[in-house]
Amino acid sequence: MTSLLETRGLRVTFGGLHANDDVDLTVEEGRFVGLIGPNGAGKTTFIDAITGFVPLSGGTVTFAGDDITDVPAHQRATRGLVRTFQSLELFEDLSVRENLLAASERATWRDALADVFRPNRRSPVAEDVNWALDLVELTDAADRLPSDLSHGQRKLVSIARAAAARPRLILLDEPAAGLDSGESRQLGVELRSLLDESVTVLLIDHDMDLVLGVCDEVYVLDFGRIIAHGTPEEIRRDPAVVAAYLGAGSGS
Amino acid sequence: MDVYLQFLLLGLGAGAIYCGLSLGIVLAYQGSGVINFAHGALAMYVTYVYDELRDEGDYVFPVIGLPDRLDLGESLSFWPAFTLAMATAVLLGLAAHFLVFAPLRRAPLLAKVVAAVGLMLTLQGLVFLRFGVDNRTVSAVLPNEQATLPIVDVTMPRDRLWLALVALLVTSALWSLYRFTRFGLATKAAASEEKGAVLLGFSPARLAAVNWVLATVVAGLFGILASPISGLNNANFVLFVVPALACALLGKLRSFVLAGTAALFLGMFESVISKLSTWTVYPDWLPFQAAQKGLPFLVIIVFLFIGGRSLPERGTIGDGDQARALLPRRVGPTALVVVPLAMAAIVLSPGTLRLSLYVSLASAIVLLSVVLLTGFVGQVSLAQAVFAGAAGFGTGKLAEGDVPFPFSPLLGAVAATVVGLLLALPALRIRGAQLAVVTMAAGIAIEEFVFKNTSFTGESATQTVPPPAVFGLDLAPNRSPDFNRWEFGFLLLAVLTLLTIAVANLRRGATGRRFLALRSNERAAAAGGIDLTRTKLLAFGLSSFVAGLGGAMLAYVQGSISSISFSVFVSLTLLAFAYLGGIASVSGAIVGAMLIPGGYAFALLDEYALNDGVGEYGTLIGGLALIITAIANPEGIVGQTLGSIRARRDETVMAGSDT
Repeated sequence: MTSLLETRGLRVTFGGLHANDDVDLTVEEGRFVGLIGPNGAGKTTFIDAITGFVPLSGGTVTFAGDDITDVPAHQRATRGLVRTFQSLELFEDLSVRENLLAASERATWRDALADVFRPNRRSPVAEDVNWALDLVELTDAADRLPSDLSHGQRKLVSIARAAAARPRLILLDEPAAGLDSGESRQLGVELRSLLDESVTVLLIDHDMDLVLGVCDEVYVLDFGRIIAHGTPEEIRRDPAVVAAYLGAGSGS
Repeated sequence: MDVYLQFLLLGLGAGAIYCGLSLGIVLAYQGSGVINFAHGALAMYVTYVYDELRDEGDYVFPVIGLPDRLDLGESLSFWPAFTLAMATAVLLGLAAHFLVFAPLRRAPLLAKVVAAVGLMLTLQGLVFLRFGVDNRTVSAVLPNEQATLPIVDVTMPRDRLWLALVALLVTSALWSLYRFTRFGLATKAAASEEKGAVLLGFSPARLAAVNWVLATVVAGLFGILASPISGLNNANFVLFVVPALACALLGKLRSFVLAGTAALFLGMFESVISKLSTWTVYPDWLPFQAAQKGLPFLVIIVFLFIGGRSLPERGTIGDGDQARALLPRRVGPTALVVVPLAMAAIVLSPGTLRLSLYVSLASAIVLLSVVLLTGFVGQVSLAQAVFAGAAGFGTGKLAEGDVPFPFSPLLGAVAATVVGLLLALPALRIRGAQLAVVTMAAGIAIEEFVFKNTSFTGESATQTVPPPAVFGLDLAPNRSPDFNRWEFGFLLLAVLTLLTIAVANLRRGATGRRFLALRSNERAAAAGGIDLTRTKLLAFGLSSFVAGLGGAMLAYVQGSISSISFSVFVSLTLLAFAYLGGIASVSGAIVGAMLIPGGYAFALLDEYALNDGVGEYGTLIGGLALIITAIANPEGIVGQTLGSIRARRDETVMAGSDT
């Protein structure tokens, strides 16, 4: 198996504080990898760093064999490295379908001219968008605005928006937050099905049950550092992980 | 050397006004997050009240329908007049807060900008109605006899020094107030997070009110003290707000000390430039007014650009709810109904009415460019008139150089596009309110460096625009004895129709989705693979091209143009009326253009409904309409109407499908 994403010595510093410190993490193609850690461990910062939303103060990020450390955020997305946001960040002015279209269309200058003359021509990504809507069972809500949907549905829109771009790797930032355990398990099943569409997944969450339940392998982040790596079974028994979770007081 | 020092110190007069206004702008921003374009107008109103009391002994009431004025005797001495004027400033501050900006506390930036423009127009309209248009000489307050300074041996009027002293005192007083009192601490806390103020035991709304009162009092104070030097008319104070805004921005809308001292230095800089321009080596191509007004803005743009970021930070507070950008439906059929109606209006309207219609049609093109850039992409630009002007002047020059018709306006619009792309550069790193002020600053720099530059426009400072003609078909707006010919009207209508359809189509396609995604959330847009840089460049490029075509058409309508036709206040008015019509919809641009000052709607009213001329109430009504729209109807006329029609239709459809 080839490695799709690799970070080496990744470091992010906010005013002297190491939010991520010397993080080495590898995601192999076709795997379902989890990254867990208590609140404040630096998980979202790690996603921001990989996707180009915060500058690194050290280390490298490699994606599909290319060093992308200095590549701007939008180009990482067009290369097939996409993310979701914990706070969803949907395009509230666009319908659900338009949300998915906007994030998957790779428009060029010439498209602007084409739009002027033929605005209703079929989008080249229409099929992918339909597939992603179907995946999260939101086809019926496609023409509604995000503000008309329930919180759970909005979460699904954000996942579908990432998936519609047919990425090689999806980084999911706490997709299960706010879901009950049943919904969370259901979500796990849906996410697992992404692997069949040759999408690799890096799932970031602090919900141990979800992550250990669906992932092939798991990294554990605490105070910005990787403290454990292994199969869910190994992680469950790792004394450092148990200590980190009990120490952080969020035993789950 | 001492002559330069003398000029530097003379500049303290203007510097003090800028200082008072920029302090007020910082206060208003801290209090309620408003960039108050109306601050100069507020100072102007207070100064007029004061002057009327000193001169006539009359207190003037602002409310239309109540008695105009109260006679308090022959003429008042300084203290009673000053006290009454300051009391007026307090009331104005309270009114600005409670009636205008408090209801907009959670509104998006654009609504606040529009309300501020509305307030400015309202005050201007009031001053016009109550005090007239004459230039007034305000009697001196501060001792102004000549004095010779020791050591440097400079002779100058004392009042400049007094003003500078007052400016420094007020600046440091405000600095101490914010630094050392719980009130200041709470205001600063509230400016970033309202809960902070609540925790300190203050109501954010009351804090904002107090800051507003301070802001108008400071502005009024400097208006009264400095107007003996600057003179007073219904335009100059309104314009002083521009350099004051620049200084406030330099202080990041936060620091009194930076803003205040920058203002004093700016005044001195302007003054000494006028002296430097007498040098023999001073370049002819750079009029000293351009150097005075333009250079400071370039400095500020560079300063803000360096401090900006290409991606907004995590947790950056969103900009509130934007006006919905409804998908244009049935563009073709609508055009088939509206265009013949417009043709009929052109043919049937008599002379002057037809001219107003042409003004509206040409303005509609420029408003389309506002909808495109500000409505769809969320970039608040206060330079649209500059784009229009670049093309207007360009078209005139090209036509004079025998470039034939369709090419002269098209190339003129290309020139506008170049300017637009230049102005897009700051937008790559600066957002929101700061971008609004930066585009305004850049617009003024261009206005001063180019439009007002006689080595560009020629000695007369006006540019004649030869009329269009194509394949022997005379499209001239005026050909004696015919004025406002229908042939030209049809050309105007054709251009507007094509551009309206083009912009509507852009909204419906992938480009429109990209634009709205960027408007809605820049971080998520970048995460979705949307290139923010390219998208903003595209938006500014397209918008300035459209604005350019509108500018060329306006230039044809006017026949000869000058910098006044495309000043920064024209930009503000355009933005405001696009908002009134419906900022995020193409039909909003057309409705807004009909309502524009000098446009078709007012001309119709004047002609058929009201015999005694509503003209003099025009500015006031326009201003109030903007304030009311910003507060009560942020979707604009079209957005609101279309939105509710569609909601009702969708309900009917759903109800139908249930049965």
